[in-house]
Amino acid sequence: MTEYTPVLVLAAISGAFAVFSVLIAPLTGPKRYNRAKVDSYECGIEPTPQAAGGGRVPVKYFITAMLFIVFDVEIIFLYPFAVEFDLLGWFGIVEMLLFIATVFVAYVYVWRRGGLEWD
Amino acid sequence: MTAFWLLAPIMVVAALGVVLSRKAVHSALCLAVVMISLAMMYAMQDAPFLFAVQIIVYTGAIMMLFLFVLMLVGVDKTDSLVETIKGQRLVAIVLGLLFGGVLVTVVAQAFVGPVVGLGEANADGNVHGLAKLLFNRYVFAFEATSALLITAVLGAMVLAHRERLEPRRTQRDLALERMQRYAEHGEHPGNLPTPGVYARHNAVDVPALLPDGSTSEISTSKTLRDRGVVRDGAFAGDVSVTMRRLEADGPERGRVEPPPSTPARHDGEEDL
Amino acid sequence: MSELFGNEAWWVIILKALLVFVVLVVFTLFNIWFERRVVARMQHRVGPNVWGPFGLLQSLADGVKLALKEEIFPKHAHKVVYFIAPVIATIPAFLAWAVIPFGPEVTIPFTDTVTPLQLTDMPVAVLYILAVTSIGVYGIVLGGWASGSTYSLLGGVRSSAQMISYEVAMGLSLVAVFIYAGSMSTSEIVAAQAEDTWFALPLLPSFIIYMIAMVGETNRAPFDLPEAEGELVGGFHTEYSSLKFALFFLAEYINMVTVSALATTMFLGGWRAPWGISQIDGANEGYWPVLWFLGKTLLFVFLFIWLRGSLPRLRYDQFMKFGWKVLIPASLAWIVVVCVMRRLIIDDDLDPTKILVVAGVLVVALLVVQFIPERRTPAVEAPEPDAFAGGFPVPPMPGKQPVAPSGAPVAPSGEKEA
Repeated sequence: MTEYTPVLVLAAISGAFAVFSVLIAPLTGPKRYNRAKVDSYECGIEPTPQAAGGGRVPVKYFITAMLFIVFDVEIIFLYPFAVEFDLLGWFGIVEMLLFIATVFVAYVYVWRRGGLEWD
Repeated sequence: MTAFWLLAPIMVVAALGVVLSRKAVHSALCLAVVMISLAMMYAMQDAPFLFAVQIIVYTGAIMMLFLFVLMLVGVDKTDSLVETIKGQRLVAIVLGLLFGGVLVTVVAQAFVGPVVGLGEANADGNVHGLAKLLFNRYVFAFEATSALLITAVLGAMVLAHRERLEPRRTQRDLALERMQRYAEHGEHPGNLPTPGVYARHNAVDVPALLPDGSTSEISTSKTLRDRGVVRDGAFAGDVSVTMRRLEADGPERGRVEPPPSTPARHDGEEDL
Repeated sequence: MSELFGNEAWWVIILKALLVFVVLVVFTLFNIWFERRVVARMQHRVGPNVWGPFGLLQSLADGVKLALKEEIFPKHAHKVVYFIAPVIATIPAFLAWAVIPFGPEVTIPFTDTVTPLQLTDMPVAVLYILAVTSIGVYGIVLGGWASGSTYSLLGGVRSSAQMISYEVAMGLSLVAVFIYAGSMSTSEIVAAQAEDTWFALPLLPSFIIYMIAMVGETNRAPFDLPEAEGELVGGFHTEYSSLKFALFFLAEYINMVTVSALATTMFLGGWRAPWGISQIDGANEGYWPVLWFLGKTLLFVFLFIWLRGSLPRLRYDQFMKFGWKVLIPASLAWIVVVCVMRRLIIDDDLDPTKILVVAGVLVVALLVVQFIPERRTPAVEAPEPDAFAGGFPVPPMPGKQPVAPSGAPVAPSGEKEA
């Protein structure tokens, strides 16, 4: 636990700085109300209250996000393997190759079906 | 132990927030707080690897949840409280109570005596100890995980993938198509004129003025035209006003005058 | 890992934490000035040169100016989240520096306390950096969401998609370093590079992949799509003003320095003096290593600026395609190669110098192949539509008749069907 104490100290210092900046900003700046200023930015027209389509984002992002998690989990397994590499021998390499190959199957499947195409 | 008593109330409040908040985005946020606090608890219990992994994987996962909410629900919508599956609520309550009962029983059984064997497990470092177990004794479970990952990807593809029916058009294809249209129908192949050019205002809803003083229809976005918010001709008089002012000699020169035909929605614009 | 980490006197910890904080803020002010000056030189301009020597105080003046600007709270913004988003973005940016080693163990002046020039270290230090930087993404996404504006939301979503796409490549490129170092602690990785060579040499592909991924990760040109001003105005910080904008700006620049410092630590020997200087006695002792460390980090910062000064922005689909279809398979293949290579070296079946020779021969062969002229076979293509025949409004090509520049095409004189 002790090695985390300096992290907490740094977090306290930077957190105090950030919160102070956010709180002090209304006091240091001028205040001149203007209806147009508080509107969302839109290139000169009356802003639409909501993004187009109710603010929905293409569901396409879901595949990217899912693939990211899959690779993230793969990386998480790769890290202890890498650290312990010298002691694991050829057995370790073979099992990791099997693992990478299996995950790669999923990757190739998504690629072949066009899940990685963007337009 | 102090850290536990600090973190535990935060976690409980955030976990309640996940269930109780109306907006799905808020639920996702509360979940992030729970997960990060959980990671800190792992750190406290001498499991540094689990601490880092918890944050890395769950921030990604919650980000996905966040995006998923944006994709399906929209930015500002609150959850609808209309039940779509009959009897869902009753089943949820029963299952929840059962699960809670199991959890309490298990924790009650496990909560005996001080923890032993931590020093032994972490003898040559937490990560090394973990790797030794994972890649020797639990190899089969480790390999089975990869099959699980394939299932996850398959699920995502089934849910979210749309098959492409026509071949993808590249920039080259598009350029060729434009030239084809020009050759056949005389359609202009270049950019459309930008709004506001030659006019005094450069907002996107003010059409460009042509040299003869009329407005250019194609300079504004089709969406705005369909919505009927284009300020057509509102400033068409601007040029003639300016010209008159410039031609006039004496005290009138350079004085700012309002345009002659000011429509209703234009008021209050000058003081911006 | 030194026994001292986490077991120091409280005043030493506070002193070092304050120093890290101050160094980061000053470094950011310097980098903003540095970037403006360098980009200006690349564009044949002068850049800020009025306030302070060489204009060094320009960023400080800009910071004060930002503090004196009016704070605008947009009408559609979400009240609480809008305020905490800059804070969420800033704190993790600072926290990542808790495990970056600045130098070896030194004695603090005027005392006889010995302390390593590094705030703390953990067995999972590099993972910790990845973890806190991924929390920083929340600041951006939440800022974009809470602003209640279309541009901000799109910028935030784009940013998260971009960061998750390039984080995979970045994470994979680090695996090879862990295999060579046998540890994930930053101080031990630096120590491992003292025994071996700098990992940038034997792990050159990893180094290149990391450098590309770090540019994508920090939203910098040519991968600055979340802030593409031509498309999204300002991206996630469109609606932010005053000091809240300054906090986002600060976090962004610190993140840039963080990935640079991580690159230095993982691939360029950390605080160790470069070859040539390291032969001098005492180059790796005392406070000198801080200089080498900052120098190497500044080298990467210069690379960032150089890229910004010379490359245009990528199109979104090209950008995602590059991340997913090139970087990830390439780094996976490289990991397999490293595994086999390293195993053979450990078993003494392979000489590391032999690998370098073979790699050198391959690179030379590749270069030679590049110089062999390509044999072009005239491809049979579908005839392109000849738009010029109908009177495209440009001067005619040599051998073509000028035609009337009217809107409707002029009837072609048998040329169109060719």
